[in-house]
Amino acid sequence: MRTLLATVLLALLFVSTVNAKALTFGEAVDAKDTIKISALLASPQNYVDKKVTVAGTIVGVCEKRGCWMNLASDARFEKLRIKVRDGDMVFPMSAKGRKALATGYLKEIKLNIEQAQRYKASLAKRAGKTFDLASVTSGMSLYQVSPTGVKILD
Amino acid sequence: MTRKQGINWFRLNRELHRDIGYFCIGLTLVFAISGIALNHLRHWNPNYIVDRQTQKITLANTMSDEVLNEALLSSFNIDEGIRATYWESPQIYKVFFEEGGTLTYSFIQQQGVFEHVRPRHVFKQFNRLHLNEAQNGWIAFSDVYAGLLIFLSLSALFMVKGKYSPWRFRRGWLVIAGGVVPAIYIFVL
Repeated sequence: MRTLLATVLLALLFVSTVNAKALTFGEAVDAKDTIKISALLASPQNYVDKKVTVAGTIVGVCEKRGCWMNLASDARFEKLRIKVRDGDMVFPMSAKGRKALATGYLKEIKLNIEQAQRYKASLAKRAGKTFDLASVTSGMSLYQVSPTGVKILD
Repeated sequence: MTRKQGINWFRLNRELHRDIGYFCIGLTLVFAISGIALNHLRHWNPNYIVDRQTQKITLANTMSDEVLNEALLSSFNIDEGIRATYWESPQIYKVFFEEGGTLTYSFIQQQGVFEHVRPRHVFKQFNRLHLNEAQNGWIAFSDVYAGLLIFLSLSALFMVKGKYSPWRFRRGWLVIAGGVVPAIYIFVL
């Protein structure tokens, strides 16, 4: 009985530590052709559906599923979302503040007026500002990278 | 003259059901526990415990990063190295710490929130397996496990003879009920 219990506990220990330090996801990143996030977001239409590699500090991670992370841009007040399908890659919350490289395809998400209003209202709410929905008179586009590979550096 | 003995299918089925059942206990617990955890994703965070500490501090966004960091660290009594800082907007400043904590300061609300994240060790690993984040080998093993579960469910139909057999209504209604519940969700709700 003791042997059985010890085996079960050892198995649980193994399960709880396996791959705890896996900080590369998917395919290898292409670190040679890194594009600045500021350049990417300055003219995103030039890169939509093209393969890009970006680098930056991780400044946000999806809390519950780890399905996205935000990389800080080299320009102030800018960031770029790296978004995966749930479960394809799971970014750890503890990675916030670390540098990361991501290779993948830049995707455009088009928002209609109502969606743009909701999006901007949520940003204003987060910043603690008042927001007038009528100030949004047209739709907008958001850009994010759908990665094929991510490397979180130490 | 020796008499050729045939396979006792009834006995073999029961023995296989028993032994495969033993083998599946661990995995079934992993999938069941993480299944409950992930089912309630909207109500809690099954992977992390996030401790939040809020404080009002008067700071200005004209201050240098060094001054802001010093003021925030002393206000929250944080004894960790700073990994990185980030200006999300002119009104929101973030500090990331070596041990995974994050401090977010809002200049509009004049308020800082320090978040410290701790993983739920067992749940996190169970969920990782459940959502197949391990990939590769785990996919093959999960397929085998699924096959074994199919065997367990089908072999259960041939475990008992007599009045408690699933082929008689006294217990057979349980088999029907188990199929009817998902059918209602698929075709009615």
